[in-house]
Amino acid sequence: MTEVSLDELGPVDYVVVEFPAGASNFTGEMAAELRALVDSGTIRVIDVLVLTKDADGTVEATELSDLGELGELQEIEAGLAELLAAEDVDHLAAAMEPGSTAGVLIWENLWAAPFASAARRSGGQLIADGRIPIQAIIASIQADEAATTTGA
Amino acid sequence: MPVRPSRVGRVGVIRAPVAKTAVVAAAVTPGPAPIAKTAVVAAAVTPRVGRRRI
Repeated sequence: MTEVSLDELGPVDYVVVEFPAGASNFTGEMAAELRALVDSGTIRVIDVLVLTKDADGTVEATELSDLGELGELQEIEAGLAELLAAEDVDHLAAAMEPGSTAGVLIWENLWAAPFASAARRSGGQLIADGRIPIQAIIASIQADEAATTTGA
Repeated sequence: MPVRPSRVGRVGVIRAPVAKTAVVAAAVTPGPAPIAKTAVVAAAVTPRVGRRRI
């Protein structure tokens, strides 16, 4: 991995994508979309793990490199920084249902790095950030609708 | 299959157990609710359309 200056590092996010037992349908589409994001310079993939949670809650983590033929992900795997520690596995798996498999993806938002760096050079400091879930937007709209309907 | 030895013994970056979020696919599936949710959400985040703040 190329060394990255801390000042030039973009925000780092993660997702845990769960595939309930019997519901996975891997066609390569996810890998292709991920590769497109990397190739366009939008993100840099920092780490990937595959977690499985048994019916009794036992969690097992698998490295991407141990999955066999990686296809589109081969080049991404070669550049992983392995940010996650073993102790992160249980924390991430806490959200999983027993009997499921999940992919954990950690990435740097390269698109945001120049703006964040400029904000720091301008004297700004990040005091809050976050994500607005679609569910929250829906709830807000529904509350608005209900208030309009009742005249509240 | 265990994780690589290089991951063991390090301080983690995920500081606490992660809570499960509501599943988006279920939330935007049209149901008995009176709102056509997907279209309304899209409108709410469309430039110059959005919603009134007050």
